[in-house]
Amino acid sequence: MNSKINLSQLADLFAQISGLSKTASEQFVKAFFDIISQGVLAEGLVKVKGLGTFKLLQMEDRESVNVNTGERFTIEGHQKISFTPDAELKERINKPFAVFETVEITAEQAEKIGDDIETGYSEEPQSDNSEISDYTSEQTDNEPKIKDITQKRSTRVLLKLITWVLSLILLIGLVMYILWPIIGCKLLTMFDDKIAEKAQVTTIVETKSSLTSSSVTPEQSQNIEKPLMETEPIVNKNPESVVKEQEPEPAVKDISDQVVQQQFNLNREDMAKSVSLFTEADTVNYRITGKLAVHTVQNGETLAKISFMYYGTKKLWPYIAKYNKMSSFNNMGAGSVINIPKLAAK
Amino acid sequence: MNNKQFLTELSGKCHLSPEQAAEQVQTLIGVMESVWNNGDSVSLSGFGVLEVKKKNERVSVNPVTGVRMLVPPKLVLTYKPSSLLKDKLK
Repeated sequence: MNSKINLSQLADLFAQISGLSKTASEQFVKAFFDIISQGVLAEGLVKVKGLGTFKLLQMEDRESVNVNTGERFTIEGHQKISFTPDAELKERINKPFAVFETVEITAEQAEKIGDDIETGYSEEPQSDNSEISDYTSEQTDNEPKIKDITQKRSTRVLLKLITWVLSLILLIGLVMYILWPIIGCKLLTMFDDKIAEKAQVTTIVETKSSLTSSSVTPEQSQNIEKPLMETEPIVNKNPESVVKEQEPEPAVKDISDQVVQQQFNLNREDMAKSVSLFTEADTVNYRITGKLAVHTVQNGETLAKISFMYYGTKKLWPYIAKYNKMSSFNNMGAGSVINIPKLAAK
Repeated sequence: MNNKQFLTELSGKCHLSPEQAAEQVQTLIGVMESVWNNGDSVSLSGFGVLEVKKKNERVSVNPVTGVRMLVPPKLVLTYKPSSLLKDKLK
Protein backbone atom coordinates (compact mmCIF):
# COMPACT_ATOMS: atom_id res chain seq x y z
CA MET A 1 0.00 0.00 0.00
CA ASN A 2 1.08 3.51 -0.87
CA SER A 3 4.38 2.33 -2.21
CA LYS A 4 5.91 3.38 -5.47
CA ILE A 5 6.28 0.73 -8.11
CA ASN A 6 9.26 1.50 -10.30
CA LEU A 7 10.12 0.30 -13.75
CA SER A 8 11.77 -2.99 -12.79
CA GLN A 9 8.98 -3.94 -10.37
CA LEU A 10 6.37 -3.14 -12.98
CA ALA A 11 8.31 -5.16 -15.55
CA ASP A 12 8.45 -8.11 -13.15
CA LEU A 13 4.69 -8.03 -12.64
CA PHE A 14 4.16 -7.62 -16.35
CA ALA A 15 6.45 -10.55 -17.12
CA GLN A 16 4.45 -12.84 -14.84
CA ILE A 17 1.22 -12.16 -16.68
CA SER A 18 2.35 -11.68 -20.26
CA GLY A 19 4.72 -14.65 -20.29
CA LEU A 20 7.54 -12.60 -21.78
CA SER A 21 11.08 -12.82 -20.53
CA LYS A 22 12.16 -10.31 -17.89
CA THR A 23 14.45 -8.42 -20.19
CA ALA A 24 11.88 -8.37 -22.98
CA SER A 25 9.12 -7.15 -20.66
CA GLU A 26 11.40 -4.49 -19.20
CA GLN A 27 12.29 -3.39 -22.67
CA PHE A 28 8.63 -3.29 -23.61
CA VAL A 29 7.56 -1.25 -20.59
CA LYS A 30 10.44 1.15 -21.12
CA ALA A 31 9.57 1.53 -24.79
CA PHE A 32 5.92 2.05 -23.90
CA PHE A 33 6.59 5.06 -21.70
CA ASP A 34 9.43 6.40 -23.83
CA ILE A 35 7.19 6.54 -26.86
CA ILE A 36 4.53 8.34 -24.87
CA SER A 37 6.89 11.01 -23.58
CA GLN A 38 8.60 11.41 -26.94
CA GLY A 39 5.28 11.53 -28.72
CA VAL A 40 3.98 14.22 -26.40
CA LEU A 41 7.11 16.30 -26.86
CA ALA A 42 7.15 15.82 -30.62
CA GLU A 43 3.51 15.91 -31.58
CA GLY A 44 1.82 17.29 -28.50
CA LEU A 45 -0.73 14.52 -28.32
CA VAL A 46 -0.60 10.78 -27.62
CA LYS A 47 -3.67 8.61 -27.42
CA VAL A 48 -3.35 5.18 -25.88
CA LYS A 49 -6.43 3.05 -26.06
CA GLY A 50 -7.38 1.73 -22.63
CA LEU A 51 -5.19 4.22 -20.77
CA GLY A 52 -6.03 7.72 -21.90
CA THR A 53 -4.73 10.79 -23.62
CA PHE A 54 -1.53 12.70 -22.94
CA LYS A 55 -1.64 16.20 -24.24
CA LEU A 56 0.68 19.15 -24.38
CA LEU A 57 -1.07 22.36 -23.28
CA GLN A 58 0.16 25.87 -23.92
CA MET A 59 -0.36 28.02 -20.85
CA GLU A 60 -0.70 31.75 -21.43
CA ASP A 61 1.06 34.42 -19.39
CA ARG A 62 -0.91 35.27 -16.30
CA GLU A 63 -0.64 37.69 -13.47
CA SER A 64 -0.44 36.43 -9.93
CA VAL A 65 0.07 37.90 -6.48
CA ASN A 66 2.74 36.92 -4.03
CA VAL A 67 0.76 35.81 -1.02
CA ASN A 68 3.36 37.02 1.49
CA THR A 69 4.32 40.39 0.06
CA GLY A 70 1.21 41.18 -1.98
CA GLU A 71 3.38 41.97 -4.96
CA ARG A 72 2.06 41.32 -8.40
CA PHE A 73 4.12 39.30 -10.79
CA THR A 74 3.52 37.51 -14.04
CA ILE A 75 3.77 33.80 -14.45
CA GLU A 76 5.26 33.41 -17.88
CA GLY A 77 3.54 31.21 -20.39
CA HIS A 78 4.75 27.65 -20.44
CA GLN A 79 3.83 24.24 -21.68
CA LYS A 80 2.24 21.62 -19.52
CA ILE A 81 1.50 17.94 -20.00
CA SER A 82 -2.04 17.00 -19.15
CA PHE A 83 -3.45 13.52 -18.83
CA THR A 84 -7.07 12.53 -19.31
CA PRO A 85 -7.81 8.94 -18.41
CA ASP A 86 -9.85 6.79 -20.73
CA ALA A 87 -13.56 6.84 -19.82
CA GLU A 88 -13.69 3.08 -19.21
CA LEU A 89 -10.55 3.11 -17.12
CA LYS A 90 -11.86 6.08 -15.17
CA GLU A 91 -15.03 4.19 -14.34
CA ARG A 92 -13.15 1.08 -13.31
CA ILE A 93 -10.86 3.03 -11.01
CA ASN A 94 -13.75 4.88 -9.43
CA LYS A 95 -15.64 1.63 -8.87
CA PRO A 96 -15.38 1.72 -5.04
CA PHE A 97 -17.13 5.11 -5.06
CA ALA A 98 -19.44 4.42 -7.99
CA VAL A 99 -22.47 4.01 -5.71
CA PHE A 100 -22.47 7.71 -4.84
CA GLU A 101 -24.41 10.12 -6.94
CA THR A 102 -24.52 13.86 -7.11
CA VAL A 103 -27.46 15.07 -5.07
CA GLU A 104 -29.23 18.41 -4.74
CA ILE A 105 -29.06 19.93 -1.31
CA THR A 106 -30.40 23.00 0.47
CA ALA A 107 -28.24 25.93 1.51
CA GLU A 108 -28.38 24.98 5.23
CA GLN A 109 -27.30 21.45 4.57
CA ALA A 110 -24.60 22.76 2.27
CA GLU A 111 -23.21 24.91 5.07
CA LYS A 112 -23.15 22.06 7.48
CA ILE A 113 -21.60 19.66 5.03
CA GLY A 114 -19.15 22.35 4.00
CA ASP A 115 -17.99 22.57 7.63
CA ASP A 116 -17.72 18.81 7.77
CA ILE A 117 -15.64 18.75 4.65
CA GLU A 118 -13.34 21.46 5.93
CA THR A 119 -12.71 19.80 9.26
CA GLY A 120 -12.42 16.43 7.64
CA TYR A 121 -9.97 17.81 5.13
CA SER A 122 -7.67 19.26 7.74
CA GLU A 123 -7.71 16.09 9.77
CA GLU A 124 -7.21 13.68 6.92
CA PRO A 125 -3.69 12.98 5.83
CA GLN A 126 -2.80 13.31 2.18
CA SER A 127 -2.62 9.55 1.77
CA ASP A 128 -5.01 8.15 -0.76
CA ASN A 129 -6.51 4.76 -0.55
CA SER A 130 -6.73 4.48 3.19
CA GLU A 131 -9.46 7.04 2.69
CA ILE A 132 -11.70 4.46 1.11
CA SER A 133 -12.12 2.92 4.54
CA ASP A 134 -12.36 6.43 5.97
CA TYR A 135 -15.29 7.08 3.79
CA THR A 136 -17.13 3.97 4.92
CA SER A 137 -16.77 5.23 8.46
CA GLU A 138 -18.01 8.60 7.25
CA GLN A 139 -21.11 6.90 6.04
CA THR A 140 -21.91 5.70 9.53
CA ASP A 141 -21.36 9.25 10.71
CA ASN A 142 -24.29 10.26 8.55
CA GLU A 143 -26.81 9.15 11.19
CA PRO A 144 -26.25 12.02 13.61
CA LYS A 145 -26.23 14.30 10.59
CA ILE A 146 -29.69 13.08 9.68
CA LYS A 147 -30.80 13.68 13.28
CA ASP A 148 -29.55 17.23 13.07
CA ILE A 149 -31.40 17.72 9.84
CA THR A 150 -34.68 16.47 11.33
CA GLN A 151 -34.17 18.77 14.31
CA LYS A 152 -33.61 21.67 11.97
CA ARG A 153 -36.72 20.69 10.11
CA SER A 154 -38.84 20.79 13.26
CA THR A 155 -37.54 24.23 14.16
CA ARG A 156 -38.28 25.33 10.63
CA VAL A 157 -41.85 24.08 10.97
CA LEU A 158 -42.19 26.02 14.24
CA LEU A 159 -40.89 29.16 12.57
CA LYS A 160 -43.36 28.70 9.74
CA LEU A 161 -46.20 28.38 12.24
CA ILE A 162 -45.18 31.57 14.01
CA THR A 163 -44.93 33.52 10.78
CA TRP A 164 -48.30 32.16 9.74
CA VAL A 165 -49.95 33.32 12.95
CA LEU A 166 -48.31 36.73 12.68
CA SER A 167 -49.49 37.17 9.12
CA LEU A 168 -53.01 36.20 10.22
CA ILE A 169 -53.00 38.89 12.90
CA LEU A 170 -51.72 41.38 10.37
CA LEU A 171 -54.48 40.39 7.96
CA ILE A 172 -57.16 40.89 10.61
CA GLY A 173 -55.67 44.29 11.39
CA LEU A 174 -55.78 45.21 7.74
CA VAL A 175 -59.40 44.13 7.39
CA MET A 176 -60.31 46.16 10.47
CA TYR A 177 -58.52 49.15 8.99
CA ILE A 178 -60.45 48.82 5.75
CA LEU A 179 -63.80 48.35 7.44
CA TRP A 180 -63.12 51.06 10.04
CA PRO A 181 -65.07 53.82 8.25
CA ILE A 182 -68.23 51.68 8.38
CA ILE A 183 -67.81 50.38 11.91
CA GLY A 184 -66.53 53.74 13.07
CA CYS A 185 -69.58 55.52 11.68
CA LYS A 186 -71.93 53.24 13.57
CA LEU A 187 -69.99 53.73 16.77
CA LEU A 188 -69.97 57.48 16.23
CA THR A 189 -73.73 57.62 15.65
CA MET A 190 -74.24 55.68 18.88
CA PHE A 191 -71.88 58.07 20.61
CA ASP A 192 -73.72 61.06 19.17
CA ASP A 193 -77.07 59.67 20.36
CA LYS A 194 -75.78 59.43 23.88
CA ILE A 195 -74.37 62.94 23.78
CA ALA A 196 -77.64 64.29 22.46
CA GLU A 197 -79.63 62.59 25.21
CA LYS A 198 -77.28 63.83 27.88
CA ALA A 199 -77.40 67.34 26.50
CA GLN A 200 -81.18 67.33 26.56
CA VAL A 201 -81.31 66.01 30.08
CA THR A 202 -78.89 68.64 31.30
CA THR A 203 -80.75 71.48 29.64
CA ILE A 204 -84.00 70.29 31.11
CA VAL A 205 -82.45 69.96 34.54
CA GLU A 206 -81.01 73.42 34.26
CA THR A 207 -84.29 74.96 33.32
CA LYS A 208 -85.94 73.01 36.10
CA SER A 209 -83.47 74.25 38.66
CA SER A 210 -83.88 77.81 37.44
CA LEU A 211 -87.59 77.44 37.78
CA THR A 212 -87.41 76.03 41.30
CA SER A 213 -85.04 78.74 42.38
CA SER A 214 -87.29 81.48 41.09
CA SER A 215 -90.04 81.50 43.77
CA VAL A 216 -91.99 78.55 42.50
CA THR A 217 -93.92 76.56 45.09
CA PRO A 218 -92.96 72.96 45.64
CA GLU A 219 -96.34 71.90 44.30
CA GLN A 220 -95.72 73.80 41.14
CA SER A 221 -92.29 72.43 40.74
CA GLN A 222 -93.69 68.96 41.21
CA ASN A 223 -96.23 69.69 38.57
CA ILE A 224 -93.57 71.01 36.36
CA GLU A 225 -91.61 67.92 36.80
CA LYS A 226 -94.43 65.82 35.54
CA PRO A 227 -94.77 67.32 32.11
CA LEU A 228 -91.06 67.49 31.89
CA MET A 229 -90.85 63.80 32.45
CA GLU A 230 -93.44 63.41 29.79
CA THR A 231 -91.69 65.65 27.37
CA GLU A 232 -88.36 64.06 27.76
CA PRO A 233 -89.01 61.03 25.64
CA ILE A 234 -91.19 62.90 23.19
CA VAL A 235 -89.07 65.97 22.70
CA ASN A 236 -87.13 64.37 19.96
CA LYS A 237 -90.15 63.61 17.83
CA ASN A 238 -91.97 66.80 17.18
CA PRO A 239 -92.11 69.82 19.38
CA GLU A 240 -95.62 70.77 18.26
CA SER A 241 -97.12 67.48 19.34
CA VAL A 242 -95.47 67.98 22.70
CA VAL A 243 -97.12 71.33 23.00
CA LYS A 244 -100.47 69.80 22.20
CA GLU A 245 -100.03 67.17 24.84
CA GLN A 246 -99.21 69.85 27.36
CA GLU A 247 -102.48 71.69 26.84
CA PRO A 248 -104.75 69.46 28.96
CA GLU A 249 -102.83 70.56 32.07
CA PRO A 250 -103.70 74.19 32.56
CA ALA A 251 -102.30 74.41 36.12
CA VAL A 252 -98.74 74.31 35.06
CA LYS A 253 -99.37 75.47 31.56
CA ASP A 254 -97.44 78.70 31.83
CA ILE A 255 -94.30 77.20 33.21
CA SER A 256 -94.39 74.06 31.14
CA ASP A 257 -95.10 76.19 28.11
CA GLN A 258 -92.01 78.11 28.89
CA VAL A 259 -89.98 74.96 29.13
CA VAL A 260 -91.46 73.53 26.01
CA GLN A 261 -91.02 76.84 24.28
CA GLN A 262 -87.36 76.75 25.17
CA GLN A 263 -87.14 73.26 23.90
CA PHE A 264 -89.05 74.20 20.80
CA ASN A 265 -86.84 77.18 20.17
CA LEU A 266 -83.80 75.03 20.50
CA ASN A 267 -85.25 72.58 18.06
CA ARG A 268 -86.19 75.31 15.67
CA GLU A 269 -82.70 76.71 15.72
CA ASP A 270 -81.37 73.31 14.95
CA MET A 271 -83.89 72.92 12.21
CA ALA A 272 -82.61 76.11 10.71
CA LYS A 273 -79.22 74.52 10.51
CA SER A 274 -80.98 71.52 9.09
CA VAL A 275 -79.97 69.26 11.91
CA SER A 276 -77.70 69.48 14.90
CA LEU A 277 -76.62 67.58 17.95
CA PHE A 278 -79.83 68.35 19.84
CA THR A 279 -82.12 66.86 17.34
CA GLU A 280 -82.37 63.17 17.11
CA ALA A 281 -81.08 63.00 13.61
CA ASP A 282 -83.08 60.00 12.66
CA THR A 283 -82.05 59.03 9.23
CA VAL A 284 -85.59 58.32 8.06
CA ASN A 285 -87.12 61.61 9.15
CA TYR A 286 -85.84 63.62 6.25
CA ARG A 287 -86.44 63.75 2.60
CA ILE A 288 -84.21 65.03 -0.12
CA THR A 289 -85.54 68.22 -1.64
CA GLY A 290 -82.74 69.26 -3.90
CA LYS A 291 -79.08 69.88 -4.33
CA LEU A 292 -77.33 71.81 -1.59
CA ALA A 293 -73.78 71.78 -2.87
CA VAL A 294 -71.23 69.98 -4.95
CA HIS A 295 -68.32 68.61 -2.97
CA THR A 296 -64.93 67.43 -4.14
CA VAL A 297 -63.69 64.71 -1.85
CA GLN A 298 -60.34 65.42 -0.20
CA ASN A 299 -57.85 62.84 0.88
CA GLY A 300 -58.87 61.19 4.13
CA GLU A 301 -62.47 62.35 4.00
CA THR A 302 -65.30 59.99 4.78
CA LEU A 303 -69.00 60.35 4.14
CA ALA A 304 -69.49 60.86 7.87
CA LYS A 305 -67.00 63.75 7.87
CA ILE A 306 -68.67 65.35 4.86
CA SER A 307 -72.05 64.93 6.53
CA PHE A 308 -70.70 66.66 9.61
CA MET A 309 -69.33 69.45 7.44
CA TYR A 310 -72.67 70.23 5.76
CA TYR A 311 -75.29 69.19 8.30
CA GLY A 312 -73.40 69.46 11.57
CA THR A 313 -73.88 65.78 12.31
CA LYS A 314 -72.19 62.67 11.11
CA LYS A 315 -75.40 60.69 11.14
CA LEU A 316 -76.86 61.95 7.92
CA TRP A 317 -74.23 60.44 5.67
CA PRO A 318 -76.62 57.79 4.32
CA TYR A 319 -78.53 60.56 2.56
CA ILE A 320 -75.40 61.61 0.73
CA ALA A 321 -74.75 58.01 -0.19
CA LYS A 322 -78.32 57.62 -1.38
CA TYR A 323 -78.31 60.88 -3.32
CA ASN A 324 -75.15 59.91 -5.16
CA LYS A 325 -76.37 56.33 -5.69
CA MET A 326 -73.34 54.87 -4.06
CA SER A 327 -73.33 51.13 -3.94
CA SER A 328 -70.07 50.80 -2.09
CA PHE A 329 -68.05 53.45 -0.33
CA ASN A 330 -64.84 52.27 -1.88
CA ASN A 331 -65.52 54.10 -5.11
CA MET A 332 -65.29 57.41 -3.28
CA GLY A 333 -61.62 58.16 -3.75
CA ALA A 334 -59.88 61.48 -3.20
CA GLY A 335 -60.80 63.92 -5.93
CA SER A 336 -64.14 62.36 -6.81
CA VAL A 337 -67.02 64.80 -6.98
CA ILE A 338 -70.23 64.13 -5.04
CA ASN A 339 -73.47 66.04 -4.72
CA ILE A 340 -74.71 67.08 -1.31
CA PRO A 341 -78.49 66.86 -1.03
CA LYS A 342 -80.70 69.46 0.61
CA LEU A 343 -82.67 67.88 3.41
CA ALA A 344 -86.05 68.78 4.79
CA ALA A 345 -87.83 67.21 7.72
CA LYS A 346 -90.80 65.05 6.89
CA MET B 1 -0.26 10.58 -32.35
CA ASN B 2 -3.26 8.34 -32.20
CA ASN B 3 -3.45 4.79 -30.91
CA LYS B 4 -2.59 3.22 -34.25
CA GLN B 5 0.54 5.27 -34.74
CA PHE B 6 1.52 4.58 -31.19
CA LEU B 7 1.15 0.83 -31.67
CA THR B 8 3.12 0.75 -34.90
CA GLU B 9 5.98 2.63 -33.28
CA LEU B 10 5.93 0.37 -30.24
CA SER B 11 5.84 -2.77 -32.40
CA GLY B 12 8.81 -1.47 -34.42
CA LYS B 13 10.84 -0.89 -31.28
CA CYS B 14 10.07 -4.21 -29.62
CA HIS B 15 10.06 -6.39 -32.73
CA LEU B 16 6.42 -7.36 -32.34
CA SER B 17 3.52 -7.34 -34.74
CA PRO B 18 1.07 -4.45 -34.18
CA GLU B 19 -1.58 -6.93 -33.04
CA GLN B 20 0.74 -8.44 -30.48
CA ALA B 21 1.77 -4.98 -29.37
CA ALA B 22 -1.87 -4.00 -28.85
CA GLU B 23 -2.40 -7.13 -26.77
CA GLN B 24 0.67 -6.46 -24.66
CA VAL B 25 -0.35 -2.86 -24.12
CA GLN B 26 -3.68 -4.02 -22.76
CA THR B 27 -1.98 -6.51 -20.40
CA LEU B 28 0.41 -3.79 -19.24
CA ILE B 29 -2.50 -1.49 -18.52
CA GLY B 30 -4.17 -4.37 -16.68
CA VAL B 31 -1.06 -4.84 -14.57
CA MET B 32 -0.91 -1.14 -13.78
CA GLU B 33 -4.56 -1.21 -12.84
CA SER B 34 -3.95 -3.97 -10.34
CA VAL B 35 -1.11 -1.87 -8.94
CA TRP B 36 -3.45 1.09 -8.55
CA ASN B 37 -6.08 -1.12 -7.00
CA ASN B 38 -3.53 -2.11 -4.36
CA GLY B 39 -3.17 1.56 -3.58
CA ASP B 40 0.26 1.82 -5.11
CA SER B 41 1.46 4.31 -7.66
CA VAL B 42 3.44 3.69 -10.80
CA SER B 43 6.56 5.81 -10.82
CA LEU B 44 8.87 5.81 -13.80
CA SER B 45 12.05 7.83 -13.99
CA GLY B 46 12.07 10.15 -16.97
CA PHE B 47 8.32 9.85 -17.44
CA GLY B 48 6.48 10.66 -14.26
CA VAL B 49 4.07 9.23 -11.73
CA LEU B 50 0.72 7.70 -12.48
CA GLU B 51 -1.34 7.33 -9.37
CA VAL B 52 -4.90 7.18 -8.14
CA LYS B 53 -5.98 10.07 -5.94
CA LYS B 54 -9.07 10.52 -3.91
CA LYS B 55 -10.94 13.72 -4.60
CA ASN B 56 -12.95 14.84 -1.61
CA GLU B 57 -16.66 15.37 -1.70
CA ARG B 58 -17.57 18.98 -2.32
CA VAL B 59 -20.50 21.30 -2.71
CA SER B 60 -20.82 22.88 -6.10
CA VAL B 61 -23.27 25.60 -7.06
CA ASN B 62 -24.80 25.99 -10.45
CA PRO B 63 -24.08 29.67 -11.18
CA VAL B 64 -27.13 29.99 -13.41
CA THR B 65 -29.82 28.38 -11.26
CA GLY B 66 -28.10 28.66 -7.89
CA VAL B 67 -28.86 25.02 -7.17
CA ARG B 68 -26.41 23.47 -4.74
CA MET B 69 -25.12 20.03 -5.51
CA LEU B 70 -23.22 17.70 -3.29
CA VAL B 71 -20.64 16.13 -5.52
CA PRO B 72 -19.58 12.77 -4.09
CA PRO B 73 -15.96 11.83 -3.50
CA LYS B 74 -14.23 9.99 -6.30
CA LEU B 75 -11.06 8.23 -7.23
CA VAL B 76 -9.23 9.71 -10.17
CA LEU B 77 -6.17 8.53 -12.02
CA THR B 78 -3.70 11.36 -12.13
CA TYR B 79 -0.45 11.87 -13.93
CA LYS B 80 2.39 14.02 -12.75
CA PRO B 81 5.21 14.43 -15.24
CA SER B 82 8.72 14.05 -13.93
CA SER B 83 10.98 17.06 -13.66
CA LEU B 84 13.20 15.56 -16.35
CA LEU B 85 10.34 15.60 -18.81
CA LYS B 86 9.33 19.10 -17.73
CA ASP B 87 12.84 20.36 -18.33
CA LYS B 88 12.69 19.01 -21.84
CA LEU B 89 9.63 21.17 -22.50
CA LYS B 90 11.54 24.40 -21.96
